[in-house]
Amino acid sequence: MIRFEKVTKRYPGPGRPALDQVTLDIDKGEFVYLVGTSGSGKSTALRLVLRELRPTTGHVHVAGKEINRMAGWKVPRLRRQIGTVFQDFRLLPNKTVTENVAFAQQVIGKSRREIGKVVPETLELVGLKDKGDRMPDELSGGEQQRVAIARAFVNRPMILIADEPTGNLDPATSAGIMNLLGDINQTGTTVVMATHDHGIVDQFTKRVIELDHGKVVRDEASGSYGFQH
Amino acid sequence: MQLRYVFTELRTGLRRNLSMHLAVIVTLFVSLSLAGIGILVQREATVARDSLGDELKILVNLCTDEDPSHSPNCASGEVTADQQQRIEKEIADSDEVASSSFQSKEEGYERAYEQAKRNNTQAAFEGPDPVVTVERWPAAYWVTLKTPERADGIISALEGLDGVSVIKDQRKALGQIFGIMTVLKYGSWIGAGFLLFAALLQVTNTIRLAALARRREIAIMRLVGASTLYIALPFLLEALVAAIVGVALAAGLLAAFQYWGVEKALSDHVQFLPWVDWGDYTQALIGLFPPGIVILGPALTLIPTLLLTRKYVKV
Ligand SMILES: Nc1ncnc2c1ncn2[C@@H]1O[C@H](COP(=O)(O)OP(=O)(O)O)[C@@H](O)[C@H]1O
Ligand SMILES: [Mg+2]
Repeated sequence: MIRFEKVTKRYPGPGRPALDQVTLDIDKGEFVYLVGTSGSGKSTALRLVLRELRPTTGHVHVAGKEINRMAGWKVPRLRRQIGTVFQDFRLLPNKTVTENVAFAQQVIGKSRREIGKVVPETLELVGLKDKGDRMPDELSGGEQQRVAIARAFVNRPMILIADEPTGNLDPATSAGIMNLLGDINQTGTTVVMATHDHGIVDQFTKRVIELDHGKVVRDEASGSYGFQH
Repeated sequence: MQLRYVFTELRTGLRRNLSMHLAVIVTLFVSLSLAGIGILVQREATVARDSLGDELKILVNLCTDEDPSHSPNCASGEVTADQQQRIEKEIADSDEVASSSFQSKEEGYERAYEQAKRNNTQAAFEGPDPVVTVERWPAAYWVTLKTPERADGIISALEGLDGVSVIKDQRKALGQIFGIMTVLKYGSWIGAGFLLFAALLQVTNTIRLAALARRREIAIMRLVGASTLYIALPFLLEALVAAIVGVALAAGLLAAFQYWGVEKALSDHVQFLPWVDWGDYTQALIGLFPPGIVILGPALTLIPTLLLTRKYVKV
């Protein structure tokens, strides 16, 4: 589903590359942690999958397509197949929970009827059935992240990308978010989650890919967070 | 495509940046009005040249029966073929003359009638017993000079010839009128140019502010895969609305100028000149060269908007 071939990403300026000859392969339906210290290149790898960035050298394949050379006008179609969640939620503060989730469908031209059906279903899935009319600032951090996950999942993407989704949450709330991501993974969606949260990785055991200074230093089918440290 | 979002955004966008949009509209209004006036002046110069000739031309009227000039040259009445040959030879032999053309009685009459109709002074041409008729209208030569300064030789040579009634030498008056028109034309275009540049900067600023105000929405739209056009549409529509309002105001002002300024005032007071009409007004609106304000206004707001949104909205 996602394949990196000797991917190197250099940002403008001096210094070592953010990613250095990274090769990895993630299958459809997998749940993968991308771990590593801050600055190890996790976010860069995720942004390459979204084609927010292009590799300096090497190739990135998503869903069987080489996306570095994809024409600009095809990029929106690629992104419709990928849901994205961030540490800071990125909700629209002047829209209700329902409107925030519906927004992701409206702007890609889904019909009002479809939106009216799918948005409540998705809110129910993330456990916010009764909070559709709330504004984001009336919700707890965990609830806001659930809204963001609902927005990322409402178009039923093949891939869900989460960049430190529990970074702003306490452990109990984080566990709830992890269960939700696990449920989404159960529907067949490939989940790639960047994190440096030891507790989470050790508690919810999945495949672990560890980055260090832009290099893959570990890839374990069922790993823990940095047992070698 | 579902456009509800686009129109909601358009409405909030127009309201959010109301003062900026008003500034764009006012600047567009004034600059397009100036551009339009420049076009009308240019058309006026063309219309005037068509009927009066320009500062290089001299009109040599030939004698008619009962010639109103009472010139001794016309003692024998209507100009004869012999007389006409002498006149033609004199014109052809002069080294001050670049070219000349003959205008028959019918052609001269038609031309004068057309111009009179343009200025609503055709009464003398019409009715059961009109003052002006083809018979009474003189045949003539249009003599084009090499330079407007040198004409004394040909004028004095023709003045004494039998068959020449009057020589209309409007070089000075026309030279001044065309001079004023040229100044007016370029003056209004230069003014329009500066103001259009100001409008361009204002459009640029408006878009930058709008993109800033909507940066969260734009970031999310890009992330979930909205097309670039869809993201850019509210910006383009905002610019289009401003352009349409600016163009409409300028078109209104130009229409008022044409109606009250030209038709109700100028053409009554200055009758020797033909004046621009509603056909020329239409040219000022939708002409291609120079571009009319209906083309200029939207082009000047939409093109920078397209370029800038490509920059801010790039996927
Ligand atoms: N936009 C950028 N411009 C320049 N350098 C960047 C940019 N983004 C990240 N970097 C650098 O690339 C490296 C990897 O960053 P990142 O992918 O954000 O790591 P992580 O998400 O693991 O913390 C860091 O050294 C960081 O400073
Ligand atoms: Mg990061």
